[in-house]
Amino acid sequence: MVSMTKMPETAGLNGEQLLDVYYKMLLARTVGQRERMLNRMGRGPFAVTGEGHEALQVGTAYALKPGHDWVVPYYRDIGVALTVGQTARDLLLAHLSRAEDISSGGRNMPSHFSDPALRIVSGSAPVATHLPHGAGIALASKLRGLDEVTVVYTGDGGTSTGDCHEAMNFAGVHKLPLIFVIENNQYAISVHWRKQAAVEKVSVRAEGYGFPGVTVDGNDVLAAYVAMNEAVERARKGDGATLIEGMTYRLVPHTSDDDDRRYRAREEVEEWTKKDPLVRFQAWLKEHDIADQGRLDELQEMAGREVDEATDYAEKAPTPEPESALKHVLVEE
Amino acid sequence: MTAIKEATQTFGLTEKQLLEVHYKMLLARALSVRQRILQRMGKGPMTFSGEGHEAAQVGSAYALRPGTDWVFPYYRDVAVAVTLGMTARDVLMCFFARADDINSGGRNMPSHFSQPELRIVSGSAAICTQAPHAVGAALASRLRRLDEVTAVYFGDGATSTGDWHESMNFAGVHKLPVVFVCEHNSYAISVHWRKQAAIENVAIRAAGYGFPGVTVDGNDVLAVYGAMSTAVERAKSGEGPTLIEAKTYRLMPHSSDDDDRRYRTREEVEEWSAKDAIVAFARQLKELGALDDKREKEINDRVNQEVDEATDFAEKAPAPAPEAALRHVFVEDKGA
Repeated sequence: MVSMTKMPETAGLNGEQLLDVYYKMLLARTVGQRERMLNRMGRGPFAVTGEGHEALQVGTAYALKPGHDWVVPYYRDIGVALTVGQTARDLLLAHLSRAEDISSGGRNMPSHFSDPALRIVSGSAPVATHLPHGAGIALASKLRGLDEVTVVYTGDGGTSTGDCHEAMNFAGVHKLPLIFVIENNQYAISVHWRKQAAVEKVSVRAEGYGFPGVTVDGNDVLAAYVAMNEAVERARKGDGATLIEGMTYRLVPHTSDDDDRRYRAREEVEEWTKKDPLVRFQAWLKEHDIADQGRLDELQEMAGREVDEATDYAEKAPTPEPESALKHVLVEE
Repeated sequence: MTAIKEATQTFGLTEKQLLEVHYKMLLARALSVRQRILQRMGKGPMTFSGEGHEAAQVGSAYALRPGTDWVFPYYRDVAVAVTLGMTARDVLMCFFARADDINSGGRNMPSHFSQPELRIVSGSAAICTQAPHAVGAALASRLRRLDEVTAVYFGDGATSTGDWHESMNFAGVHKLPVVFVCEHNSYAISVHWRKQAAIENVAIRAAGYGFPGVTVDGNDVLAVYGAMSTAVERAKSGEGPTLIEAKTYRLMPHSSDDDDRRYRTREEVEEWSAKDAIVAFARQLKELGALDDKREKEINDRVNQEVDEATDFAEKAPAPAPEAALRHVFVEDKGA
């Protein structure tokens, strides 16, 4: 292992963990790219990916206890799913709607993550409908006296919904072990934040629910991790909910069905591309002697290999039997 | 005319206007009392009482221009309706669900106020569903560049709904000429505010939508009028919405179907009864020299007579023909 030269800046993570964080970000990026590519090749029906959000997703999810804490993600959270323990194979089986897809057996849309063993809870496609689910889960943990934390993820668009308000108010009044992570990429699909709300930071709303709200640089993976750690600690010791807003940017269109040239300038996308969280963390790792270019290249190859193998596996995997669409609807003998 | 001693406290209202405010509060109170009595006599199906809220309701509605500004009240707002110009007869015709009821021709529940000419917009019984309607109306006024303000009324319970949030956010981002008036009586029917939200004053939420929120003593009719006048001015001059939280208390059960002894102590009710807004304002008017015992009795008599006559009229008025239930559902031929 490479020695750590500046310990305080590492948020308490050792070199191995820092490289693990980096690898998850890289893997998320690679899976996102692969899904978009497969979609354009006509092999996958639809892709909704998180390129640009990796620091915020991996940084926050890395502070959780997988299989113990409850995770209620939204469709952009490939980095969350991978950090909590889903594999590239899991994600590509979902993308290609295969029979053995753990998320829904090919039933739900791609990127609607679900994994019972990892406590990743299946969500519905309408925006922010999973926030009340998250509040309910957190209430259950509290009533049962368990030290479980629930985290719900949503975009800035999600905060304009009634469900978000009701979930936050409920979390506040019941002092629930719940964390709201807002991935603020400034666009509710095509609607800019300026047209969504008259406030600069959505975190100011937390005060109105009686719990703290913080805004972090969502492209700084360690800042996201530190903020999440504090929120998790608060939740676990019974101090209630926290809202974490990470300011970030979606580097690709909303989905494979979206043309973002219609609502945002190429200059803006280029500007944010320069702030790519992966590039930024690579530089940080080198600067802090955690990894040299050789090591980073190795990890890149490793991620590429993992996604290649997952793609091959998923492409060859059987699709669901048509009759299986009838399963999981009514109670079966 | 008696001179008003301390004009600074009265926000520019003349003595005549102050007495009108007093009269509207009394009329609303008398209508609530009457409806509760008639309901217990088995003559009306259900009542929602506004007793205790009169200062919040009259003080805010008095700052509006009836027939120009749009008003989206909720079921407790008998004093809002009366201040804008609805009569005792209108309210009681509605209570008895008569054919000539201006609100809905006997279709809607009592206290679901609607009067096209006064721009009082009919609402649904489901809590806070009127708020999205109100911001839509305010958007229309702005797009049409009309000098209209919209006021939307609701209780503290409504602020826990998604509709409220979506309306507040929409009003903020579009800088709409709308005033949100929260009649905060601390109870969402039986659920105390402490069990509804983890904050003391809901007015602080306005900051999260980019516009001002103020908390006022909802039992001080002039304080409410002052806050509402400021909010209406803001809206008219294109500066956008305001949230006014008027802290008050419902002196009666939620409705004629509610027994409030199950969720609040008699001591609490008595404590608030001692702060009755109508008694407080009458005392204030006497201190200002605008009211004396003789005049007070005259106004009381006038109110009672008005409510008695309205009751007689409404009791004798015909109920809707059963076939009338089929109307206003589909487009009808002009000749039909």
